[in-house]
Order: sequence, then structure tokens, then C-alpha cells
Amino acid sequence: MTPDALNRLVAQLAKLPGIGEKTAQRLAFHLLRAPPELARGLAQSLTEVVDRVRLCSRCFSLTEGEAGAPCGFCTDTRRDDRVLCVVEGIADELALERTREFRGRYHVLHGALSPLEGIGPDQLRIRELLVRLQGQAFEEVIVATNPDVEGEATALYLTRLLKPMGLKVTRLAQGLPMGGDLEYADQATLARALSARRDL
Amino acid sequence: MKLLSLTCERFRNLGAVTLDASAGTTVAVGENGQGKTNLLEALYFLATLKPLRASKLVELVQWGQTQARVSARFVLGGAERELSVVVGDGTRTALVDGKKASSFEGYFGGVSVVAFTPDDLQVVKGGPDGRRAFLDRAVFNRAPAYLQESRDYARALKSRNRLLKSQAPAAHLAPWDDTLARLGARVWARRRALLLEVGPRTSEAFERISRSGLEAHVWSAPSGLDLLEFRAKSEDELQQHLLRALDERRGRDLERGFTSSGPHTDDLTLELDGRPAKAFASQGQARALVLAWKVAEIENLQAASGVLPLLLLDDVSSELDPERNAFLMGYLKASGAQVVLTTTDERLVRDAAGTQARWYRVRGGTAEPYSSP
Repeated sequence: MTPDALNRLVAQLAKLPGIGEKTAQRLAFHLLRAPPELARGLAQSLTEVVDRVRLCSRCFSLTEGEAGAPCGFCTDTRRDDRVLCVVEGIADELALERTREFRGRYHVLHGALSPLEGIGPDQLRIRELLVRLQGQAFEEVIVATNPDVEGEATALYLTRLLKPMGLKVTRLAQGLPMGGDLEYADQATLARALSARRDL
Repeated sequence: MKLLSLTCERFRNLGAVTLDASAGTTVAVGENGQGKTNLLEALYFLATLKPLRASKLVELVQWGQTQARVSARFVLGGAERELSVVVGDGTRTALVDGKKASSFEGYFGGVSVVAFTPDDLQVVKGGPDGRRAFLDRAVFNRAPAYLQESRDYARALKSRNRLLKSQAPAAHLAPWDDTLARLGARVWARRRALLLEVGPRTSEAFERISRSGLEAHVWSAPSGLDLLEFRAKSEDELQQHLLRALDERRGRDLERGFTSSGPHTDDLTLELDGRPAKAFASQGQARALVLAWKVAEIENLQAASGVLPLLLLDDVSSELDPERNAFLMGYLKASGAQVVLTTTDERLVRDAAGTQARWYRVRGGTAEPYSSP
């Protein structure tokens, strides 16, 4: 008989994505054998993350501040207030941030339009985006949704809303990855890159 | 491109079968229901990741088994590669040299097949969806990127139909109209490009086969456009055309709950001397027309890529009259293409087989080699 506490831990770990029953068991035994600080530290981090991390009231990215307070991206005075970049998720925002090229503000939609999954404009942070654009003097909105069917539809939906507001609306370019070999590019990307070629 | 061998495990009724392919013709002989067609289907599935006959993936797995595997060794661009596909749980996994293929394009690189089945012979007289599938198979063989493009179109179409069924407001439909128009214009452009290549070749091949003096013409155009207008339009203009059509019919589409304009509603028109073959062609002419299309497709692939596709013929000879069968056999022999064919009667295909052919007898889900009859 394994102790109930251990069974509970295994069952809970197994609920995590990408973790099956066996891996859950291995993780549980690892936590049990390791110094108790590891498990206590993990437990504390888990509680802190759910208690402290919340969505920024302005851009809907993550923040650790007081409820209602804007996040670090929104309060950073060195960033450009004229350009706003709209992304589907926080992971996309972090990817753009890693380039260190973009110094404007962000807005996270938390998804893309997908009728097949029952996600319409009301399920995304679009109303909040419009309120924000009315309140602040942005000049350009960069739509950085994914280049798949849902991401494109979302971009088109936003364009229809934002163009009449007198904003410059742009879309991330699509084409070949940098430093890659032409021969390894997939055909859809290569075809896109070919049709959007430019003069030298 | 050369096929060296094929191995099936638990694929349909084939328990464990290995076939060593001839550089010329490989013939599978057997009675109906023994597994000949399954051998061809295994090859077709391996080369396209699509079942040859309309069916669900689970139906590809032998009854009572959970997983099927098909693998084949090819010489591609001078190197020997092993392509495999594993089917189970309603999913398929493509492998190159035992490693999971990172993309469809990477997997498909260099392999092309043209299949010819008795179902194809029904295309002229059958329904428009059969003709669309027939056309799309040819487009896909010519441009592998079309697989993803047609999938994207289908997904956008399904999304828009879902919104129509839930009576979504116009503002919610609008981005999907835009998306559908862009993807639909691409489908039109791909089909048009293929028909521009294969159409004239089909007319020419039909003349060689039938010697009737009748002129065959195959074409397809979106509704609301005649062929000349369609040819003259850029992809952007086609997008605008579809957008207008979607806009005009939105009321009706909302009532019915599905999208009534776009490439998914087009037909492939086959004509003889300007008259629709569906209504006017004899059974023999209809078959000659399909045969001409297949010959055109093969010649076109060779002209475009310099490589002859692997030809898969499923018991076609018994469906053709002796004269057209003689043409087909003569054509196969003269083309120099690698062919895998099935037949119930080995006499029908002997002319195509030649001396280096390999013969297999298929019985109860097994295949045994035997020497030339």
C-alpha cells in the first residue's frame, strides 16, 4: 500500500500537460527522496504564482504588481508610446521581446478567432484594445498574430476595426527564416517569400 | 525516382507482405477480394498520406489490430531512402529512414505517383464532388504545397459555416469572408495552373487514343466567370470576385447554414466537340477521356520535373475494351515508367509487362512471387 499523500501527489502531477502516470510517479519519488527544501520551495512557488501573478490591467500581459496596477512593459517610460504590437499570447510577446528590436507597447489578445473552438471577438481582449486605443495617442498598430488560418482571420478582423480609426495598421512580414538554408524551407513559406520578393 | 520494395504489416487484409519491385512492371495477379488493391493502396497512401479510396484511417488497419505500418525503399536523387507510415488511433506518423518527418514537404520530397483505378473511370458520368477530388489529386501531385493550402481553405470554410449556422452578426463573418476569399483564390489559381498544363495534353492524348476526330476539352471556372474571364484574372482579382460572391449571397448562406460560393462548389467540365461528356459521351468515349487525362498527367509531371511518376494501375484493363487496353499497355511499355499494376487476368497485361517484369500471386492477404507466365 502506498501512502495516500503520495497517491494524491502522483494523481495531481499526472494532470499536467505532457506528463503521464509513470513520469508523475518518477517525479513524486524524486521529490520524496530529495532534501525537503526542494518540495517546500516548489510548493511555495506554486502558491505564489497563483496568488501574486495576474494580468496587467492595460495590456493583459503578466504582472506581479498590485491588482489594477499596470505591468513593467506598460510603465517603462523608455518605451515608445506611438507603436502598439498586438499578439495572440504571452509566449509571442516574450519571443518579440527577445529580439530587443521592438520598443513600443504590447497588447495580448489571449487567443485568436476560432469559430470551430467557439472563440469569437467577445472571448478575446479586443474590446479592451479598442478602449485603450481611444484613450491613448498611438500612431501605428502592428498585428503580430500567427500566420495560420485563425491568426490571419483575427488580423483581418482587427484591420477592419482599426483602419477607420485613422491608425496605421501593419502586419508582420512572412518569408524565409534568417540564417536558414533555402533548400530546407518548406514549400508554403518559400512560395510566400517568392511572391513577396522585393527589388534590390 | 525508383521503388525498390514495399512492405505492409497489418494494412487492411495484408498481414505481412513484402514485394520486391521491378524497375519496369510489377504485376499483382489475383481474384477479387484477395488484397491486390490493398497493395496499391498501401503504396498510394505511403506516397500521398491520403487513402486512395474514401475511407477513415481506422479502416486501413487490419481487423482486430491496433496499428498498421507500410514502408518502402526508394532511390531518390541517387540515394536510397526508406519511407514509412504508421497508422493507429486515427492518426498517421510519417517516417523517413526511421525518423519522424518534420514536415509533409520534407517527407514528400521527390516521390510522385499517379494512380488509375476503376473509380476514376466513373468520373465523367459521376457527381461533381468526384470530379473535384479527381482534379485536386492531380493538382496535389504537381504542387505538394497544395495539400496545406486546400486544408487551410477547408478549415476556413468550416469556420465560416459554423458562424453561419450560429447566425453570427455580419461583423463576425467579415474576417472569415476575407480569409476564405484569399485562400479560395489560391485554390482557383492552383487548379487553373494545372488545367493550363494538363488540358491541352489531354486533348492531344484523347486524339491519339480515340482517333475519332472529336476534340476533347477539359476546363473549370468559378461560377459567374466564363473561361476567358477566369484566365485573364490575377489572383488578387479572383480574391475580389469571391469576396463579392460571398457578400451577395450572405443572406442566402445565413438561411441555409452553409457557404454556397467558392472553389468547393466548382465542377470540372469535360467536353467532346463542345458538348458535355457527362450527357453525350458514350461509355467508351468517357473511359478514353479519363485515360487521356491520366496520360496527360503523367506526361506533364515528366515535363515539369524531369522525373516519371510511379504509376499505380488497379485492375483497369478489365474495364477497358480491347482496343483501348492495347493502347494503354503499349503506352506503358513505351513510356519507360515504373509501373505497379493489379489484374484478375494476367493475359490482359502481358503486353505491358515485358521481360523484366516481376509477377506476384495475391491470395488471402499474402503475395507469392512466381515466374513469368
